[in-house]
Amino acid sequence: MASKELALMAHLLRRAGFGATRDELDTYVSQGYEATVEQLLHPDASPVMDEDLLRRYHIDQNSLMLIESSQAYWLYRIINTHRPLEEKMALFWHGLFATAYGKLNHAKAVVNQTHTFRRNGLGKFADILLELSRDPAMIFWLDNKDNHKDSPNENYGRELLELFSMGIGNYTEDDVKACARAFTGWTIANADYMSVRASRDSIWPHGRLDWQFVYLPGDHDDSEKTFLGHTGPFNGEDVIDIICQQPATAWFVASRLYGFFVSDTPDEASIQFLADTFTETNGDIREVMRALFLSDFFKGESARLARVKSPTELVAGTARLAGSYQFPEWGIVNLAMDVSFMGQEILNPPTVEGWHTGREWIDTGNLVERVNSAALEMGDLARPGVQTVLQRVRARGGTLTPEECVDACLDAIGQFDVTEATRASLIGHASLGGNLEFGERGSADCSEERVAELLQLIVATREYQLA
Amino acid sequence: MTTATALQYSHTLGFMANQGRGFNNPVDLAFDSDGIIYVLNRAGPEVGVRIAYKRITRCTADEQYLGEFGSGGTGDGGLWWPSSLALDRKDRLYIADEALNRVSIFDREGNYLDKWGAAGSASGQFNRPSFIVFDLDDNLLIADSLNHRVQKYSTDGTFLSQWGSYGTDPGRFNMPWGLAVDEAGNVFVSDWRNDRVQKFDLGGAFVLAFGETGSGEGQFNRPSGLAVDGNGNIIVADWGNERVQVFDAEGRFLASYRGESRDSQWAQDYFAANPDEAAGRWSADLEPEIEARPEYSQHRGYEWERSANVEKLFWGPTSVKLGPDGQVFIVDSLRHRIQIYRPET
Repeated sequence: MASKELALMAHLLRRAGFGATRDELDTYVSQGYEATVEQLLHPDASPVMDEDLLRRYHIDQNSLMLIESSQAYWLYRIINTHRPLEEKMALFWHGLFATAYGKLNHAKAVVNQTHTFRRNGLGKFADILLELSRDPAMIFWLDNKDNHKDSPNENYGRELLELFSMGIGNYTEDDVKACARAFTGWTIANADYMSVRASRDSIWPHGRLDWQFVYLPGDHDDSEKTFLGHTGPFNGEDVIDIICQQPATAWFVASRLYGFFVSDTPDEASIQFLADTFTETNGDIREVMRALFLSDFFKGESARLARVKSPTELVAGTARLAGSYQFPEWGIVNLAMDVSFMGQEILNPPTVEGWHTGREWIDTGNLVERVNSAALEMGDLARPGVQTVLQRVRARGGTLTPEECVDACLDAIGQFDVTEATRASLIGHASLGGNLEFGERGSADCSEERVAELLQLIVATREYQLA
Repeated sequence: MTTATALQYSHTLGFMANQGRGFNNPVDLAFDSDGIIYVLNRAGPEVGVRIAYKRITRCTADEQYLGEFGSGGTGDGGLWWPSSLALDRKDRLYIADEALNRVSIFDREGNYLDKWGAAGSASGQFNRPSFIVFDLDDNLLIADSLNHRVQKYSTDGTFLSQWGSYGTDPGRFNMPWGLAVDEAGNVFVSDWRNDRVQKFDLGGAFVLAFGETGSGEGQFNRPSGLAVDGNGNIIVADWGNERVQVFDAEGRFLASYRGESRDSQWAQDYFAANPDEAAGRWSADLEPEIEARPEYSQHRGYEWERSANVEKLFWGPTSVKLGPDGQVFIVDSLRHRIQIYRPET
């Protein structure tokens, strides 16, 4: 039976990353839980992933012009990163500040936005909002390029308050208007030309051009504004500072972090604890995340498997486990499309509200897709990660009973939290073939196939579909 | 043939088109005996309708479109990750494919003739063949990148010889990409992940190497295609630095070019037909200054971002070829065009 330390570490890496192999779990356990949390919280201490290989072989992932290519690019990063929490935070902020390719017609602009989330995702929330407000993809997505001194456009100002920081019910319509006016003049370079280009998918002669933020002081409304009870000639930075001082903002961020990292079921006391940390640290996300990962509510049994894996978590985690796509291979674009077919088209969320998560990830169609995709990876004995799992199973002995084999497989993929009912079902299936023999070549081949089949069953279980 | 010590921008060939007149992520080109250009379009990703965008475009240096042939696919004649092409003395076209680990052969009208090659590491097998050129005896040299070697074949696919293995010592390689043969038959290899160029004699014996990792003059960030002119000057696509560098025959740095493309005739035709887009373009600042951002990595760095912002610059140059009259053709893959330079005399 796995140690409690291993099970806890597997839990941490499912949430703070995209799962871990059994070998990785051993390494993490040997360094300890708190040290691992610190390692995750400081991604800069781990090497950055070189992109030269990716750019060489996937020419379409070099320019990132197309959505499929850009989705495959991010998936490859997630699978191969040495900085799992950096990618996880990027995915969290991408879901919260949902910006979609569909309107922009410019995949690299959305990719660039995720780069800012990688860089700032564990920083101060005020800095994150400031970068977000200057992000060309966001400016285009929520029409701030059309937010002028003489004709304000309220779209970004409204969503900044409603969906990105405080939540509805914590501000007035006048606050929305003031917020929008504070962000007048925050636009992108060559806005008119870029708008024409983005409005059509015509054959641009030489591909896309990047967008750059510009501030046009002449187009900024620097008159006095009253915003959330404060009055002054506010610019965007001032508005963000005021937003970040609001208790509603602390609660909003805390509740979103809780839902993404802890449980699909909200718990008021735990969220308040995170909100208090947010307030006490002046919105320092790294501090909030440290408090979260070290908390009893995160480490406790009630948080285990308390979230449905998002499609990205499921697909990337399984690919990492199977050892797939550790080098550029053309099939990764199909794997990225699997993520989309399961309902999470990364870089192209359905609306500005992002994805509906939790149980909504699962429906009859999506579940079949999820099981098939994971089973395809783990049932392939040619995958290096599957071979590693197999070696761990074989190391248990030349002959394994069905029960021993099930326990060995669960242990080898780090799936420690399974119910007795699930375990019994797996054993029941494994028993149909009797003991597994790894001694003689013919019987070993047969037994290896049975292990692969068992791995396919394990990734189809309820527990594996949960994080 | 004249020297290419200094290059002068001449004009640009092509623009982006998924099918028909234009290119889609071109990676290499070659000339037949009549000077007709064959441009290899790698395109991507390998899904749905986009698979058909992989093709060979026939055209001339003065932008006459002559047609196209080939398509994405894994069957006979199909292209998946086409990497390089070359024509033999009989004007048969040989195309290397890094995904299918094979060489496909067409006549110059585009009729499929044959294929050879297989995946593996034994003699006569490939692991991502990235470049092919003919030597002076009309044998094919192939950069077998993940086997870290150069292989020589006859035109019927008979394995003849090989040299190189993984490493950093002279004569060893780390994922070589480009190949070129000079007028004396010497072979030049862009040793991609070692950030250098190596020269070998006819028999594959090491002669010299130049270059090191970096972005300064004479340094490389993952060199790709290269060519040698009539005076022995070596023109190298410094892929990761988004530039082209010229060296003398001893490997001494002579000049560097960042790209200065103007609209090709095909692009001008496009804007003439889309005046609203053209109007915005003429009034836009197409050469903005950009801020260096902390997240830029060595291989996705400032120059890569500059090229994403400034359209005239090289972006992912993959191949350099000399035209029949000495012009230098640089395949500007991410901008879907060929920038053509002429030697300054």
